Amino acid sequence: MEFKIKLGNILAIIIIFIFFLFWEIFANYEIIQIALFSKPSLIFLKIYDNGFEIIGHLLTTLYRLVLSFFIAMIIGIFFGMLMGYDQHIYRFFNPLITTLMAIPGIAMAPIFIIWLGFGDPTIITIGIIVAFFPIVYNAAIGVRSIDKNHVNAAKIMGAKKKHLFLKIYLPHSFTYIIIGVKLGLARCWRTIIAVEFIAATGYGLGYMIWDAYEYLNVTIVYTGILILAIVFFTIEKTIIREVEKKTIDKWGVLHEQVS
Amino acid sequence: MFILPFIVVIPIWEIISQLELIAHLPPPSLIFSKFIFLAFEEGVLAQHLIGSVYRLLIGYILAVSFGIFLGTIVGLNKLISDTITPLLSLLISIPTIAWVPVLLITLGLGDETVIAAVFLGGFFAITYSVIHGIRTVNKNLINAGKIVGAGKYKLFESVLLPGSLVSLIPGLRLAIGYSWRALVGAEMLAAMVRWGVGKMIFTSRMSNVIETMFLGLLIIGIAGLLLDRLLLFIENKTVVKWGMVTEG
Repeated sequence: MEFKIKLGNILAIIIIFIFFLFWEIFANYEIIQIALFSKPSLIFLKIYDNGFEIIGHLLTTLYRLVLSFFIAMIIGIFFGMLMGYDQHIYRFFNPLITTLMAIPGIAMAPIFIIWLGFGDPTIITIGIIVAFFPIVYNAAIGVRSIDKNHVNAAKIMGAKKKHLFLKIYLPHSFTYIIIGVKLGLARCWRTIIAVEFIAATGYGLGYMIWDAYEYLNVTIVYTGILILAIVFFTIEKTIIREVEKKTIDKWGVLHEQVS
Repeated sequence: MFILPFIVVIPIWEIISQLELIAHLPPPSLIFSKFIFLAFEEGVLAQHLIGSVYRLLIGYILAVSFGIFLGTIVGLNKLISDTITPLLSLLISIPTIAWVPVLLITLGLGDETVIAAVFLGGFFAITYSVIHGIRTVNKNLINAGKIVGAGKYKLFESVLLPGSLVSLIPGLRLAIGYSWRALVGAEMLAAMVRWGVGKMIFTSRMSNVIETMFLGLLIIGIAGLLLDRLLLFIENKTVVKWGMVTEG
C-alpha cells in the first residue's frame, strides 16, 4: 500500500517536471509566446532575484488570513452553537445566513472600500465575513444533529449546563465544526486573494499578481500563481490534515470531504 | 417562515439608514426604487441577468462534461489516480480568481475569459466528486455484477455510474456555487464585458452609486441561493428519494 502511493507520487512529480520542461522548450522555440505564457526559467529567476519582496507579499497575505480566520472562527463557533442550541434563534438567523452566504466576497469589496477605505480594514473585514458563514452554518447543524437522548440522559443524571456543553454539545458537534472551519479557511484564503486584487495598497500576493497584470508583467503573474498553489497545498496537507488526524479520524468518523 | 427575519430586519435597516446612524448605508426603500428604475424604466437589469446566466450556463455545462469525463478516467484506474490526484490537489489550491489575470492575458478581456473562469470554478469540484463517487461504490455490487457476467461497459453503465451519483449530484450543487462566485469575480475584473451582475456592481463603483451596489449584492445573493435550492431540489428528487443518502 505504502509503496503504491509512493509510485503514484513519483509519477506525479515526473509529470510536473515534464510539464515544466515542455513549457520551457515550447517557449524557447516560440511555439508559445513568452509575452503571454512566460517560461519556467524566467519564473525561477524571478523568485531567486526578488525572493525577499515575494516573501513580504506572502507574509502580508498570511497575516490577513490568520487574523480574519481566527476572529471568524471564534465568533462563528460560539454563535453557531448558540443557534443550534436554541430553535428560535436558529429559525430567525438561518434564512439570513443562507442568503448572505451566497454572496462572493469580492462583490462586497466596492461597498467596503467606500466604508473603510483601501487596505487592511476592508480586506480583513471581508475575510471575517466569508469565513464566518460556513463555520456558523456547520456548527449549528452539528449541535442540531446531536441525539436528544444523550442530552436528556445527562440531564437526568444531574449534569449542569457547563457540563452539558463541555461533555455533550462540544464533542458531539466537533466533526461538523471541523468541516465548517476547513471550508471557512479555504473561502477566507480565496476571498482575501480576490479582494487584494481591487482593495490592497502596496502588499499582498493578490496585489502583486494584479499589479503585475496591469503592467503586463506575465512572469510575476505566473510566479504569484505558483506560490499560491504551493502555499495552500502545504497548509492543506500539513496543518489541516494534522488537525483532522488528531480529531475526526481518531474519533472514528472518517470524512473524505470535497472542498 | 423563511420570510419572517427579513420582515424584521428590513424596517430596522430602514430606520438606521434614515437616521444616518451608519454613513453610506442606503435605506431599503431607496434600493427598491432603484430596482424598479433599473428593471422597468431603464430595463438594463434584465440585460445584466441574461449576460450572467448565459456565461454561467456555457461554463457550467463545459465543467460538468469535462469533469465527468476526467473523473471517470481517474476514478476507474488506480495508477492514473495516484498520478493525477496530487496534481489535482495542487491545482485546486489555486483560487479560481487568481487564474483571471492569466485568462485576461491569454483569452482577452471579454466573454471567453469569464466563461473560462466559470469553467475552472466548477470543473475541479465535479471531477473530485466523480472520482470519489466511483471509488466508494459498494464492492459487493461490483463483484455481483461481475459474477452475473457483466462486461466492462455494462458494469460501468449499470453499476459504477448510478453508484457514483451519490457523490456526483451533491458535487453538482457544490460546483454551481463555485461557478457562480467565479462568474461574479471575473465579470468585475474583465474590462470588455458590458453586461452582467458583477459588472453592475463594479461600474457603479466608478460613479459611487452605493444603492446600485447593494441592489447588485442582493441580486447576486438571491440568485446564488436560488441556484443552490434548484440543485438541492434535484438532489432531493434523485439520490435522497432513492434512499442513497439521507436528507441533509
